[in-house]
Amino acid sequence: MSEVIATLKKDYIYNLMVKGKRQDGRGFKDFRDIKIETNIITKAEGSAKVTLGDTQVLVGVKLQIGTPFPDSLDEGVIITNLELNPIASPDFEPGPPKEEAIEMARVVDRGIRESGAIDLKKLCVTVGESVWIVFIDVHVLNDEGNIIDASCFAAIAALMTTIVPNEQQGIGDNVPLAMKEIPLGVTLAKIGSKLMVDPSLDEEAICETKLTIVSSSDGSVAGMQKMGSVSLTEAEVLEAIDLAREKATELRELYLEGLVRKG
Amino acid sequence: MSCMSDKTGKLITDDGSRLDGRRADEIRPMKIEIGVLSRADGSCYLEWGRNKVLVGVFGPREAHPRRMQRADTAVIRYKYNMASFSVEDRARPGPSRRSIEISKVSREAFEPVIMAELFPKTAIDIFVEVLQADAGTRTAAINASSIALADAGIPMKGLITSCAFGKVDGQIVLDLNKEEDNSGEADFPVAMTQDGEITLLQMDGHLTSEEIKKGLELVRKGCKEILEIQQAVLRRKFETPIEEPAKETSMEEISDIENKVVEAEVSMGYASEAKVVEEIHEEVKFFEEDILVKIAEEETVTEDIQEFEELKNKIEEPESLVEEKTLKEIIVAEIEEKADLKASLEINPKITEFEELELIEEEYFSSDAEKMTFESEEFAEDKTPLYEQSINEEVTSEKTFESKNELEFKDKSRKKVHAEEAVKVEEKYEKENSKGPWRVVKDPSESGSKGDKDE
Repeated sequence: MSEVIATLKKDYIYNLMVKGKRQDGRGFKDFRDIKIETNIITKAEGSAKVTLGDTQVLVGVKLQIGTPFPDSLDEGVIITNLELNPIASPDFEPGPPKEEAIEMARVVDRGIRESGAIDLKKLCVTVGESVWIVFIDVHVLNDEGNIIDASCFAAIAALMTTIVPNEQQGIGDNVPLAMKEIPLGVTLAKIGSKLMVDPSLDEEAICETKLTIVSSSDGSVAGMQKMGSVSLTEAEVLEAIDLAREKATELRELYLEGLVRKG
Repeated sequence: MSCMSDKTGKLITDDGSRLDGRRADEIRPMKIEIGVLSRADGSCYLEWGRNKVLVGVFGPREAHPRRMQRADTAVIRYKYNMASFSVEDRARPGPSRRSIEISKVSREAFEPVIMAELFPKTAIDIFVEVLQADAGTRTAAINASSIALADAGIPMKGLITSCAFGKVDGQIVLDLNKEEDNSGEADFPVAMTQDGEITLLQMDGHLTSEEIKKGLELVRKGCKEILEIQQAVLRRKFETPIEEPAKETSMEEISDIENKVVEAEVSMGYASEAKVVEEIHEEVKFFEEDILVKIAEEETVTEDIQEFEELKNKIEEPESLVEEKTLKEIIVAEIEEKADLKASLEINPKITEFEELELIEEEYFSSDAEKMTFESEEFAEDKTPLYEQSINEEVTSEKTFESKNELEFKDKSRKKVHAEEAVKVEEKYEKENSKGPWRVVKDPSESGSKGDKDE
């Protein structure tokens, strides 16, 4: 259904793009309004709800004791899961995660893992035997486009406010989860010859291809993923990297840096 | 994954070579076999370093389940599957989250080039089996799939080539192997079209934008090398061998233009004969151009002087005129002949086309020789003085040798030759009087050969 509507809107969005405009009046480099609420699920060790325009994503972080992976015996484990709940869109169906959901979950996971956001060494309880496993569960509540950026945002916000429940296991005091980095994902949609950040649902449906870039606070890139069936030129990729880094720095300062110590 | 922990040694030596002896910008050796599966529409087996990948392509075939069908295009399905024995620690069989993701991005890597819109309601299936994994299996699978698709005859806008770069010991290197991948700081697989458009891009690790820029350069170089390998493999299977020509082409063959062209057109498939046709076309073209140039020159009457000199000489030498007649003589003779034997005009229809003939005929019968001369002069108006002179002389000489002509025309075969001569001269007049090239696109040699044939 949304596919048909998007096709009808394609010309409209293209014509606006040519004039340098977007459907909702934003500039090409503007995000929609962002709202972050943390600690809203008290049963979870950490949680955050991010509202990006009308897109709503809720992330809950749970910690459990488990066994480490054989190749990293002294490190905690990160497991990320993302669900596109049927509540979020008429296009989502119940059942096991489809490839889109799996892909997004893995991109969020990679951003956190590769940037070294969590100090995994501090999650080791007994080397080779027990470590904390961090479950990051992303629940998409309402899909109005760009779920992936909202998910990255919510996941890192939730992690930054997570408490490690040591008391529950009788291994000391509860401490905030040790964080080393704040990775942020910024997605750009290629529409015609233009790249625009934070695509809305319609823009997402008609765009040729999307590129998600997860960058760290030092400006380095921790993860990238191209999604969609149209090619990109090298120049476009490099342009997207610069744009994504710039936007990530901006958003990090605005919304996340205050969260770090709060825990 | 298990072998990662205690690898702390240097992966790149001080002189810049890697554990397997490669330089930073070198890919691992690649071996490709095409058409290895008899039941698949297209297939490819690829070894890249220690990676072993097998790809089968099916379709376009009916899409099942039916709700998958698209009314306007074929659906492309890409299934990346790892054999459980392909990695150190046995992998759980069946699709994993990793393989689902790889399948999706790999499919998207091909969507820009596969001309799926040609096969609505069908499915094109690409099945990848990773038999042995040693880092870079998705890029290996894409390179193999590209060839398998071509082997299956699926229309594509070009081949897709894939290669990864990464960071090892702080250095940007091309095509990581397992050891490098395990302790590497970044992995950046890329797939691109032949034009260098990026159709797959993933990355994890830690890279600055300068490193990405440098890495993309390396990948471009790597992909170019792989593309050459892919093309060579496809050529080996599909290129028709060029056969040697049966014998060398001589000038006589070229001169027999018509026959050759017909002959060569039949067997255009062979490059060597196509070349002969090309040469012949060139030859003909050259001739035509030559004629056009000549015509253009004749219109300005500069080159023709020599020919008129010859004509003039003939007229001046009485002996030569006994054998070779001038136009006027022949016309006059013709008219005489016509008067006696009415049928003789049919010998060469060209003469009847000669408009002046009737006029002169009338004049002849009115026995107005003076008027005839005048007409001839008028006929030659706007020409050089030399030309006029020759015409005048022609007319004069005609009167002088009239009696001899009568004798000559008793020999019928001779008469025919003269008639042809007349055609030639007539053509010359036509050329000189024509204002456009369409009237005189006649090859002198061609009219000569025509005469031969008539005889």
